[in-house]
Amino acid sequence: MKLRRFRVRSGGASALLIAGLLLSAAAAADSLDQAKRLHDRIAGVPPDPTTLANMADEIQLNNDPLAAALIATDAPAFYSVTLKNFAAPWTNRDRSVFVPLNDYIATVIGIVRDEVDFREILHGDILYVGSGGGVPPYSISNNDHYEALESQGADLRAALTRTTQSSLTGLPANATAGVMTTRAAAKAFFIDGTNRAMFRFTMLNHLCNDMEQVLDITRPPDRIRQDVSRSPGGDSRVFLNNCIGCHSGMDPLAQAFAYYDYEYDVMSDPDGEFGAINYNAVGEVDPDTGTRVESKYFNNALNFEHGFQTPDDSWDNYWRAGQNVLLGWDASLPGSGTGAKSMGEELAHSDAFAQCQVKKVFRNVCLRSPETDADRAQIDVMVSSLETTGYNLKQTFAESAVYCMGN
Amino acid sequence: MNTRSFLRSGSRGLLALLVLATGYGCGGGSGAATVSNPLTTPPEVSNYSGPPPATADVQSFKLNVWDNLVPNNRCGSCHNDSQTPRFVRSDDVNLAYEAANTVVELTDPAMSIMVGKVRGGHNCWLASDDACADIIQSYIENWAGDTLGGVAKEIQLIAPPQQMPGSSKNFPDDPSDFAATVYPLLTSFCVDCHTDTAVVPQSPYFASADLDTAYDAAKAKIDLDAPENSRFVVRLGEEFHNCWSGNCASDADDMEQAIVDLSGLIPVTEVDPDLVTSMALGLPDGIVSSAGGRHETNVIALYEFKTGTGSQAYDTSGVEPALNLTLSGGYDWVGGWGVAFTAGKAQGSTTASTKLYDLITATGEFSIEAWVVPANVTQDGPARIVSYSGGSMARNFMLGQTLYQYDAYLRSDATDQNGEPALSTNPDDEDLQATLQHVVMTYDPVEGRRIYVNGQFTEDLDPIPPDLLSEWDNTFAFAVGSEVDNQNRWAGTMRLLAVHNRVLTDEQILQNFEVGVGEKYYLLFNVSAHVGIDDAYVVFEVSQFDSYSYLFDEPFFVILDSSASPGSIPMAGMRIGLNGREVAVGQAFRNLDVTITDAEYDTSGIQVLSTLGTVVPLEKGPDEDEFFLTFERLGSATNVVVEATPAPPPPPAEVPIDERTAPHGIRDFAEINATMSTMTGVPTSNSQVASTYDLVYQAMPVQTGIGGFISSQQMGITQLAIKYCSVLVDDTGLRASFWPSFTDWNASPGAAFGGDRSAVIDPIIDNFVGRGIATQPGEGAVATEIDDLISRLASGSSNTEDIMKASCAAALGSAAMLVQ
Repeated sequence: MKLRRFRVRSGGASALLIAGLLLSAAAAADSLDQAKRLHDRIAGVPPDPTTLANMADEIQLNNDPLAAALIATDAPAFYSVTLKNFAAPWTNRDRSVFVPLNDYIATVIGIVRDEVDFREILHGDILYVGSGGGVPPYSISNNDHYEALESQGADLRAALTRTTQSSLTGLPANATAGVMTTRAAAKAFFIDGTNRAMFRFTMLNHLCNDMEQVLDITRPPDRIRQDVSRSPGGDSRVFLNNCIGCHSGMDPLAQAFAYYDYEYDVMSDPDGEFGAINYNAVGEVDPDTGTRVESKYFNNALNFEHGFQTPDDSWDNYWRAGQNVLLGWDASLPGSGTGAKSMGEELAHSDAFAQCQVKKVFRNVCLRSPETDADRAQIDVMVSSLETTGYNLKQTFAESAVYCMGN
Repeated sequence: MNTRSFLRSGSRGLLALLVLATGYGCGGGSGAATVSNPLTTPPEVSNYSGPPPATADVQSFKLNVWDNLVPNNRCGSCHNDSQTPRFVRSDDVNLAYEAANTVVELTDPAMSIMVGKVRGGHNCWLASDDACADIIQSYIENWAGDTLGGVAKEIQLIAPPQQMPGSSKNFPDDPSDFAATVYPLLTSFCVDCHTDTAVVPQSPYFASADLDTAYDAAKAKIDLDAPENSRFVVRLGEEFHNCWSGNCASDADDMEQAIVDLSGLIPVTEVDPDLVTSMALGLPDGIVSSAGGRHETNVIALYEFKTGTGSQAYDTSGVEPALNLTLSGGYDWVGGWGVAFTAGKAQGSTTASTKLYDLITATGEFSIEAWVVPANVTQDGPARIVSYSGGSMARNFMLGQTLYQYDAYLRSDATDQNGEPALSTNPDDEDLQATLQHVVMTYDPVEGRRIYVNGQFTEDLDPIPPDLLSEWDNTFAFAVGSEVDNQNRWAGTMRLLAVHNRVLTDEQILQNFEVGVGEKYYLLFNVSAHVGIDDAYVVFEVSQFDSYSYLFDEPFFVILDSSASPGSIPMAGMRIGLNGREVAVGQAFRNLDVTITDAEYDTSGIQVLSTLGTVVPLEKGPDEDEFFLTFERLGSATNVVVEATPAPPPPPAEVPIDERTAPHGIRDFAEINATMSTMTGVPTSNSQVASTYDLVYQAMPVQTGIGGFISSQQMGITQLAIKYCSVLVDDTGLRASFWPSFTDWNASPGAAFGGDRSAVIDPIIDNFVGRGIATQPGEGAVATEIDDLISRLASGSSNTEDIMKASCAAALGSAAMLVQ
């Protein structure tokens, strides 16, 4: 055992003093350092002396640093600070962390807290709401509920309650798709545009691949919509070497969002602060298209009128062949379907999803990306652990912290 | 021979089977409802004094064809009195009509003998045979429009030559073989003109000093499979184009040998024997499908940019005087007809431009119609797409681009000399896109200016009431792609430009949009060998999409023998082959999975296989590229395609030890706030703290890497620390909890801090630094620092509470809190 400096404590927990009597002095110092780092990295704040001692005990006495790390996940700051900022960049196009608490973030926090299968974030009928005096009820047309929770400094570990989107947002249960159908995600990614943003940012945030990384020009372009110019600026080489590589796979997947929009009054509310998600349920017809498909799917339809015209929300995953096989799709799923829910399940059941979550946690906890073969081996271990522990991301936080707690 | 006929109406119109045997029918379709004659002022018109036209058709012939061609500087010098057929004889227009009927094809004017003869080089009065042929074709189309009630065109499908997909040679990506064989001849003998740096640059730039540029330009001029047919060889040997030795045959031989040498270095691309293929054919084997049907009754200037070379863009409207445009500056002819302007201009003479002044001011209304491809959506000025002007601030009209909007300028009695105020499309609508668009600007004294994009009115209203055009200036010049003074260049491709001296109606604009632009062909791919039916074809409408690709559109299945029926033919996994191999990109029909059935086929006479179109890359050029189709399943033939599983990428290399991230980091802004709250016991929701946090949180660290910490972040941290400590000290309950042994809050500094200071310092160490943690700052050192600080402050004018706040903030805002 290596010898380390030992500082005589002049205060702190009596429990540690007792432990110190039983252990070598050097070992106690190591466990304190490790315990503090575990707590810092997981909760973002230092532990109180009692918690520090308890964690050190787990490390030193019980040789169970994972248990120590899980103690840290009980800290309120793990939910209000670490997880809030972990998820915040996923909820806006600028990927800014400077955003208020919203239903997307709260749902991620709740899923981690309750150790729900993390894959539900892309296909579950799940939502977390808060409560408390002065907190307005959840609304589909503003974010006041969550901003009030945040401004009151609510303990999100305790304040959040699990519910369903279908009971609060008006979406049919089969039209819910985890965080993708939260108000915050709709406001960020269904607003204006063509709904491709929802797909792109979901890929970026939850499969850790932007479109450039999945570019494959060999996929058939038969589902690329009419708005994509096949000769941008008069040069079709641009399309044939670049645009086609992403759109050929993205458009047939993003077709799953064909019935969604974020509606707001552009005159009185140009930023859409008070808009709401819209979903054309069975029997609801878009006045412009005459079908359930939102008119945004026909924006600039004359850019290439020979292109694909979206008839419904059926989707196909063309990336189950070609180089993007390496994203590791779930062979037990069909690779096609209708609507965002099953498409979200397709994404969430990929190996890339699990790897992405683990890498994000690793980066968050270890304050760096994997740099060595050992780091990458640890990623693999944690991916396996995630898959075998019911996609409990809290466990991944703890495992990452243990790996990076020092020695 | 079995043939099938179709009526084609518009570029996206459905094909409707009309006639089930060889022969022609007369169609109505969506062709122009021609009611008035084009305004023409041909030179030297003979005064006709013979018998009057016997029928309305003869009258139409006279107005549309005879009047235009009878002058001595057209066909009248020969085909009037002496040379048969005497289709412009002036003694009796009825006899001329009879003669003309032997050399025109009203149902397909482009196929008229008269047009073909001129296109082949027969006594064209312009420098371009094609331009003369197009002009005569437009005369015949106008006649046909009157006669047939429109020019909707009947398409007759005829079996093409049957050939198996051939092995062929394809240009390698690497130009080094070209550089070693053909390139030296080009750079030696063609360099005076065919480079972009020549005094008068002559496109294509196959002698460019840039090898890649030269290689790309030369590919279309080289036939690797038959070097003797290469354009380079033909141009020297048969057309005697600037031979360098004085002996064109010798120069042609040298060039041919160089191409033979190049070809010898390139291996043959063999067709995979496992493929289930159709027969092969090239674009020249296709059947022209261009619908005609454009409404051009009142066109007064028309540019189709078919020439493909040289510096003249011909006005083929047939309306004299021809307002031909001279190209200058940076421009390139593009495949599929058009001119791409980079920093160039096409301008007519002021004399010829007066045609616009004369014919537009006569009607007081006009339309500018163009098929354009803006190169980008960042140019402004406006960038001049089309202008009839005398300089940057004086014009009669202009169609321009400002970012995503089209701008229409017009001089009238209600606007200024520059045509302002302008009508612009709403920028939020982003009507202008950097892709092929049909744009029309119209003006009439009732509606004023209107802009149409892709057949639709943009709904942008003229900001001022319309007025007369009496302020127009007939000394201005007509220019495309630039202001006449070479300012405000427009970057983009012009593929067709028409000026009409009447307003096009909404229907006419939509009609012209639907007709499309460029030459289109039906390519009939024979699949009889696999389906067991003679003359069974998969037919595509194919066109050159731009200089780099083809458009394959709306495939359908047809059997030329109208008495045959398909039965039941499964077809799946159709791919487009090019020059001996399947194209790697753009295979939009590979997911096709249909069954051709009697039920589907019999109702329409064809079976549409897909309504989609796709673009595939151009390789050798439209005259050389050979296409074929492959199928994963066709009839009983199958070729199951199994894609290889990609190999996973190798793991990334380890980061060198000295470049690895430090094991410690810093807290981010939210963690700092939470940590300070935890350490002091002041809740984050405290109004004073929250207010300060709102001010400084964006100044504090966002990233947790310790290497990115900067001094400005420390300022934010310090401000927040001071606020937390201030609130802590000001709150008697909180401070009593934090400093339980310190009670001298109201004492002077000397009294409060004169003795043992452990009651002040120890809680700070306990709460902010921690005890016994090796990675934290040394407890003794921290205590000494705080002690020194208290001493310094106590000797000054600070009161006790302020000294407590400072002692607190110094530790709270330090690395003891920040580093994790």
